[in-house]
This record gives sequence, structure tokens and C-alpha cells, in this order.
Amino acid sequence: MATAEKPFIRQDGKDKVTGLGRYTADLTMTGMLHAKFRYADHAHARVLRIDASKARALPGVFAVITHEDVPDVRYGAFVQDRRLFAKSTVRYEGELIAAVAAMSPEIAEQAAALIEVDYEPLPVVNDVEAALEAGAPLVHEGWADYSASEDVVREGNDCSRSTIVKGDADKGMAEADEVVKERYVADMSHAVPIEPHAIVAQWQGDKVTIWSSTQVPYMARIGVATTLEIPESHVRIVVPHLGGGFGGKCEFHYEAQIAALARAARRPVRLVFSRREEFVAPDHRREGQVLELETGVRTDGSIVSRRARVILDNGAYGADAPFFPQLAAMMAVGPYKVENVFVDASLAYTNHTPSGSVRAPTAPQACWAVEQHMDAVAAAIGMDPVEFRRRNIVRNGDEGPTRQVFEDIGAAATLEQAVEMIGYGKELPEDEAIGFAVGWWPSFGLASGAHIKINGDGSGTIITGAQECGTGAVMALPLLAAEILGMRPDDFSILYQDTDAAPFDSGASGSQTTFNNGRAVQRAAIDVREQLLDLAAEHLEANRDDLELCDGAVSVKGSPTKRVSIPELAEAAQGGTLLIGRGADAVPAMPECDASGCTGRLGMESFLAPTFITHAVRCKVDRETGVVRVLEVAAAHESGTVLNPIGANGQVEGGVVMGIGMALLEGSLIGDDGRQQNPHLLDYKLQTASDSPPIHIAWADTRTKEGAGGPNGSKGIGEPPCVPTAGAIGNAIAQVTGARVHQLPMTPARVWEATQR
Amino acid sequence: MSTATYTAAGSLDEALAAIAAGARPVAGGTDLVVGARNGKAPLPESLVAIHRLSDLRGIGERDGGLVLGALATHADIVASQEICNRYTALADASAIVGSHATRSTGTIGGNVMNASPAMETGGPLICFDAVARLRSSGGEREVPLSELFAGPGRTTANADELLIEVALPAPSAGTGSCYARLEYRRQMEIAIVGATAVVTVDGAAVADARIAITALAPTIHRVPEAEAALNGSDGGADSVAAAANAAAAAAQPITDVRGSAEYRRAMAAVIARRAIATALARARGERFPIPASPALHGAVDGGAA
Repeated sequence: MATAEKPFIRQDGKDKVTGLGRYTADLTMTGMLHAKFRYADHAHARVLRIDASKARALPGVFAVITHEDVPDVRYGAFVQDRRLFAKSTVRYEGELIAAVAAMSPEIAEQAAALIEVDYEPLPVVNDVEAALEAGAPLVHEGWADYSASEDVVREGNDCSRSTIVKGDADKGMAEADEVVKERYVADMSHAVPIEPHAIVAQWQGDKVTIWSSTQVPYMARIGVATTLEIPESHVRIVVPHLGGGFGGKCEFHYEAQIAALARAARRPVRLVFSRREEFVAPDHRREGQVLELETGVRTDGSIVSRRARVILDNGAYGADAPFFPQLAAMMAVGPYKVENVFVDASLAYTNHTPSGSVRAPTAPQACWAVEQHMDAVAAAIGMDPVEFRRRNIVRNGDEGPTRQVFEDIGAAATLEQAVEMIGYGKELPEDEAIGFAVGWWPSFGLASGAHIKINGDGSGTIITGAQECGTGAVMALPLLAAEILGMRPDDFSILYQDTDAAPFDSGASGSQTTFNNGRAVQRAAIDVREQLLDLAAEHLEANRDDLELCDGAVSVKGSPTKRVSIPELAEAAQGGTLLIGRGADAVPAMPECDASGCTGRLGMESFLAPTFITHAVRCKVDRETGVVRVLEVAAAHESGTVLNPIGANGQVEGGVVMGIGMALLEGSLIGDDGRQQNPHLLDYKLQTASDSPPIHIAWADTRTKEGAGGPNGSKGIGEPPCVPTAGAIGNAIAQVTGARVHQLPMTPARVWEATQR
Repeated sequence: MSTATYTAAGSLDEALAAIAAGARPVAGGTDLVVGARNGKAPLPESLVAIHRLSDLRGIGERDGGLVLGALATHADIVASQEICNRYTALADASAIVGSHATRSTGTIGGNVMNASPAMETGGPLICFDAVARLRSSGGEREVPLSELFAGPGRTTANADELLIEVALPAPSAGTGSCYARLEYRRQMEIAIVGATAVVTVDGAAVADARIAITALAPTIHRVPEAEAALNGSDGGADSVAAAANAAAAAAQPITDVRGSAEYRRAMAAVIARRAIATALARARGERFPIPASPALHGAVDGGAA
């Protein structure tokens, strides 16, 4: 595998570390105005009156817009349940009432405060379980009239419900030797990209260019076109450098409001979010969860039945979350052989900031609960937790929760690699312990395209719809093209993040960039290769089948002196037929399964090219204070073929640190008024570099069959690394203290409280 | 966040004149500017920058004790061998203020005058009998730190006074000290519970003890009951525990997003005990890493107690 041989330095790295890189908030334009939003003053209220006259009269204000100034369109990925601006009801604290454009951010802020809004407060739906009880106040009184994908099963505050039914869970439970029942609660958390949202919009005639800090430019374009009722061809989205996303910048966020504001103000307008807004407003934070887990087990360690009830906190609007219950249901079983399954998962509307995809949505929290539960089940039958997993983990030929039969997987290999790397069984001080957790995650097959052109000097340009969100996935695309064309990765420039320039891509979401766009780039490279070979055959007067591409030239196999360089061919093409490759690969078929008894099927009933992960952590617990230090992490991953080790390892390191943060400190506290109590970085505590432990990484050696995975038999890698870390830490804490922490994050106070019980 | 006038003073007199005319002084800006960005308080209308006043920089000796210029940074304090050896609790505290960036930019003068009840250096300064020298265009006066803090964000200094230095008298021979805080993470942390102990041993007995609590009341203050429990004792586990419990009993903890009152009170006893025990160990000549807090929470690279 040529691409895996040596470390690869990404093209955008130098700009980013030296400060040369330009981000959206760095853009300025002549006559540019500054935008501020007026947010809802209640988490749930009827809006009786909006009067912006005082704001409009403030000197320096160019435009104030509300729902009256944009088309009355409802939007949403699965359920069309929200508008650009609140019309008659506000449903969370970050809901928009109005947008202001003014000469300075200070004037805009002052004007936003001058907008008069009369409300009639409504009961705040603050608890996910109460939200689903009969007679609970409805977050959306008109839910039944909303348009929605017909596969979404919904009822009142239950925005989307999915079940997994395999065998007979009740009968299985009755056959078990031991039944363990537990309840876990995970708090809401956030993506927290270092760069908060920023948008600049500028109109030229009836066309608008929008620079946006989005992970998904094509989705943003669709969103703008839909909500402003203009053709997609009139909307161009450009993404300057993106300062991280982690899912928090997926979907369509504020591009339409700022475009509408710029149109009303007749000037370019820039929006830059504060950190507080970044926490409160976008509909993409990690959902809170309540998980009730029940497992029936035989004394030999085989799992005879799993029952689970999972309730996810949707917040006020569906965003892309309606497929989360099905994902959470798969996570509630885990990558284990379970004979009988019944999982019932719901997405409850509340008056909180809406949830949406954040790096492996639902998985870290569900895995944290399920993997602690696995340790509790092992303890109930007196079995070592690693041995218990060893007996139940899925192997080739085993069936998943929906009877998907696994092929070419390395789940068990990751378990053994983690055991080995962490030195399980070694002697430890009395305040230290090792915990394990196993997780899994699908790859997402989506349409994606790319072009490759060979320039007159023989260099290449990759024109791709893929979005670089910081992972390096787009930066690594030249590796794939270079391998096919016998060129060096440095020979390629990349044109990306401009919806007018490149073919469609679903964006930096779902670990899909290399998986899908990588295949598109390979197709485009093959297309160019064929053109180069045709040209070379003519040039060398050789049989085309005898030619090979390597070291920047086409040569006749066995006669290395009979060769023509790519620059020479490129020069020739410049006077004839240009070398332009197009690439778009078919979307891989979903693996077969039997989901006939399941409801709410939204595409997650089987997992395409599933990845498997085992994390083992060694933790030290300060019993007196509850402070937990993670001393060492062993992260073993099965991700098919590893294309770019430096990039893949970077994803694991970042994912593990994110997982540690979720495990120990990251969580939003919600007040009785439905508002976040800690929407800032002093009290929403991320891990720092000083907190990060040594991370040992291993990759299980597996190959995915041609057509069943990503380029060269690879699988998605962006999301899986944050999945099992919190569960492993939970198990280590319980090993030291003898007390299990049932709420995430496992803060010092919660660890301490658990030890006091 | 907008300031109408900003001047960078070239001399102390120029700075004092600007302050007398209503300007607020700014040195590192780590509280003022960051606070304004986060919407805590807008920047003052008028600012006078004092970072060019080299007279206010540096750490020097005076009368056997030390003088910290108002512009001495936390990084300067941690780098001072004198402070690490003789005023160890202050080094413990300065070494864990904010982040690397905060410590190399933030000054002791700004830290003191910001008067946060959670400030790391407050407890050590009070226990070392530090004295603030305040100057205005009208003259100069000295105020013990224990009398300077008036409440959260408030001092007894007048609006026209500038803190120019903090003086630390010489500690007695046989003195050891420690500042410890409860920390949820290793950097960018704010004290949720903090405790300072400055103890002087004479042979086997504790000759003098000063114990202060941080982030547990509207101002940082010493706890006489805790000091009494330790004074004259053998400094053994029982008297250390008694002193720590007395310190916790003096706390007025609140419940907020950082922790419950119950947890804070329980932690006050734990952290005070660790600070006292570490101060005693240092007084007896044992080595203990600076800063003490990470090691007290079981950090791998901080060494063990």
C-alpha cells in the first residue's frame, strides 16, 4: 500500500500553525455591516407582539428583519418543524426573534435589545421522561400537521421512535441465570469547535455568495435555496479555513438569515458568534440520554436477552436527529452476540437547545452506559470483564442486532490488542485500575464527486466537493490520486470548499470524506490515467497494455528507458485534448439484515463497513475528592485498511481526548427555566493539553471486500475514536471505588457522591 | 466592548495623573480584557496602560524580605528561587493561575486589585503578612492585604490609587508553606476550594500557624480557630485534621454550577488538611513539588507526597 508508507504533511498545516490562514471571521469587505441576533427571552412562550421600530430608528442600523421579512417556510432534515425566525412561538432560549445589521457590533447589539417583544410564557418541557408522559405540555402543538419523511414514527412530543426486535426478549429473560437491571443518565454536551460560527453574505444582483464556517456547504446551499425560495444556482457557498466542527457545524445554520439581512441592508453583512451563542443557539449539540438497560445472562457468560429503553433529549427542533433513536438502539445492544433483543428508543422534544449530529451521535453516551452495564453483568456472574467480552464479542459469521452477518471484521482483535497494550493484569497501586469498553460505529455511504485535471506543467489539481473540517481528510486526497497516477502527493493542488466549483458532496460529516470522496478521487484519477496512457501509447508508439505509470512518467514495462514524462504529455495535451478526469463512484449497497420486526427504520438497521473499537484506560482516583486522572489509554481500532497513519492516529488522539472530556467534565447544566447554566468555557470544562495522557494506538489488520467499503478497503475513521473512552473510564472508576457512577459526565462531585453512598 | 481613550503612560506620575482624571489602569489585561470579551463588564471609558513603567517591574529584596513590583508576572514569581524557597505557597499559587499565557501576561498587581474571592495568590499573600503600597498623585500609603479585600471584586483602595508594589516580610526560620486547591483539570482552572497553610516549626512543635481559605467565602480570609488548633501542637495527624476541620467549619460555601455547598464544605476539610500537611512537611525540610496541587490530586508527573 504505497499511501501508507511514509508520514504525510498536509498542505494547509503551515497556514494554520503560523496564523497565515484566513477564517470566515477574518474576512472584511467594503461597506460591510455587522449582524446580531435578538434571541427569545423565554425557553417556551407564545409570541404576542414584535415591535422593531425603536431598533430601526437607532442611528447606524441598516436593517432589522423578523419572520415577516422572509418566506413562511418550515424546514428540517426529517421533520419540517422550524422557521428561520420565530413566528408565533419560541421553543428554546436560542430561538431567533430578529436579526439586526448595523455599522458596528455594538450598535447592532444595542438595536437588538431595543426590539420589543410581548410573550405569554408557556410551561417549560424540561425533563425527557416527563415529556413523553400522557398529558405533558406539547412543544409543538401542531406537530401532526408538519410535513415529514414518512418513515419517521412520531406522536406528540416523541419526534421519532425506533425499535429493534430480535427473537423474544421476555422469554430470553426468563431463561437467564442472572438478570441485571440498571439506569444511566447522560447530560447534554457540545461539539465546542475552537472557531465559533461565522458567516459573511454578499449579494450581486439576484445572486448571493455566502462565506460560512460550515462543515456541509452543499447542505447550506440547499437550506438557503429552500427557505429563501431562490434557485440553488443563485447561491454560492464558500468555506474559508474551518476552525473545527465536530458536527456542531453540520446542517444549515444562519446562512439564510444573514443572506436575507444582507439583502435588506443592501450591504455585505458579517455574523461572528460569541462563545455563549455557540453553546446556546445552533441546533447541533450532543443529546442528553436516559437509558434503562436490562440483561439476562447465563452463568457460562452467554447473553440470552437484552431489553432497553432509551430516551434522547431532542430539544426544541428535530434537525438531523430523527435517525438517532435507531442509532442509539443499535448502540444499546453493542457489538455482541445477543440472542434476544428488544430496544425501544425515543427522541423527546423538550425546550432545550436542539440536538444534532456531534461526532458519533448517541454513541459515546450509550456506549458509556452499555459498557458499564457489561461490567456489572460480568460481576453478577463472577466473571472477569475482559473474559466476558471475549465470549460475547462479534466475530466473522456472527449476527448483529438485526441479523446482519458480519464479514471481514476485527472486533475481537481490537480487544486483544487493547489488553496487550495496557498490560491488563499487572500489579497497580491501590488507587489505580484499568477499565475496558468496546464500541462500534458504521461508515456512511453517500454520493460524492471530484474532478482531476492535469495542468500544462504536469502538475495536478483535485477539484472536490469535500469539506476539510480539520481532520486532514481532504488534505490527504492527493495520496489516493498520486498512487494511481504514479505522481507525488506534492504534485497536486486542491480546489475545495466552493459549491460553484466542484461536484456535490455531503460535507465533513459522518466520517464520510475519505470513505466517499476518496473513491470519487480514485475514479477521477483512473479516468485521467486512461487518458495519459492513450496519449503515451501514441507518443511512444507502444502497445497501450505494455505501459505503466510510475515516478512521474509513463514507461514501457521492462524497458525503463522507453518513457515519456507526465509534464511532456501534459504539454502535448495542452495543444490537443485536455487531460480532465471525472469521478463519481456508486454508493455501496447496505448489508442485508432482517429488521422486519423493527419500527422507525431510517437507514441504520444495518451498518455499512462497521468499525470496531476497544479502549482500555488506566485511571487514578482520588477517593477523597472524586478527582479522576486518566494516566494512560490504549486505543485499538479496526477500521479496515489504514490509508494515512499520521492522519488516522491524529483522529484517534483527538477522539480519545474528546472522550475523556465527555467522561469527566463536559456537560451542560440546565436550570428550571430550561436554560443552560454554564454556556462558557470556564464552567464547561474541556480537557487541556496538560490533562491528556499518553495514548497507545493499534490498528487491527483487516481488509474490507471491494465495493463494501471505502478506498482500498478502508472504513470511516473520524467519529469512532470518541465512542468507547467514557465507558472505559467509568469501569476504571468503579474498579477503584467499588461504586458505579450512573450520570455523565462523571464529575469529581458525582464520583465523590457515589463513594459516599 | 469599546474604550474611548487609551494612553500608555511613560512615567508613574503620568499614570497617576490619568488615574486621577478617571482612567482605569491596565497591565496584562487578563482580567479586564477577557472579562469584557465575555460580557462580564464593558471596558472602562478611559484606560491607562502601565506596562511600560519599568520601575514597577521585578522582584527585589528589602529588609530581609521581598518586594514584588506590581508588574511582576505570575511566571516571574514562579521563576524566583527566593520565592520558591521561602514563600513556597505563593509559588504554588502563581504556578497554577490560569494558563501558561495568563501566567506570562497577568501581573500580581492586577491579580490583587481584581480581588476575586477565588484568586490563587490571595491566601498566600495574606498568610505571609503582605502589605500593598498604594500611590496616588496625592501621596502614598501601605495597606495589609488582609485589610485590602472588601468583597468580591472590591478593595478598600480609593479610585485614584494605583497599587505599585507588594512587600513580603521575612518569614521566621523553620517556616514551610503550601497553597492547594481542588482542581477539576490541570490548566485553565479556577479555584473551587482552596487553602493556604504557612507554619513555623520549632523542634517537634508548631510554633506558629497561619491558615486561610479561598473561594469559600466572599473574601479570602484566615481562620483563627484552625490556626489555634494547630498552634503549639505536635503537628501530628490528629491536630492537622482538627485544624482542617476548623477551616472547613469557617467556610460559607454556596451551591452553583461549580459544585454544591455540601461538596465544597467536605472538600474544604480535605484540601485544608493537604495544604497543612504539605506545609508541615516542607517546614521539616522535606521536598515537595511546586505547584503542590496537581501532585495532591495524584498527577503522574508531579511526584508523590
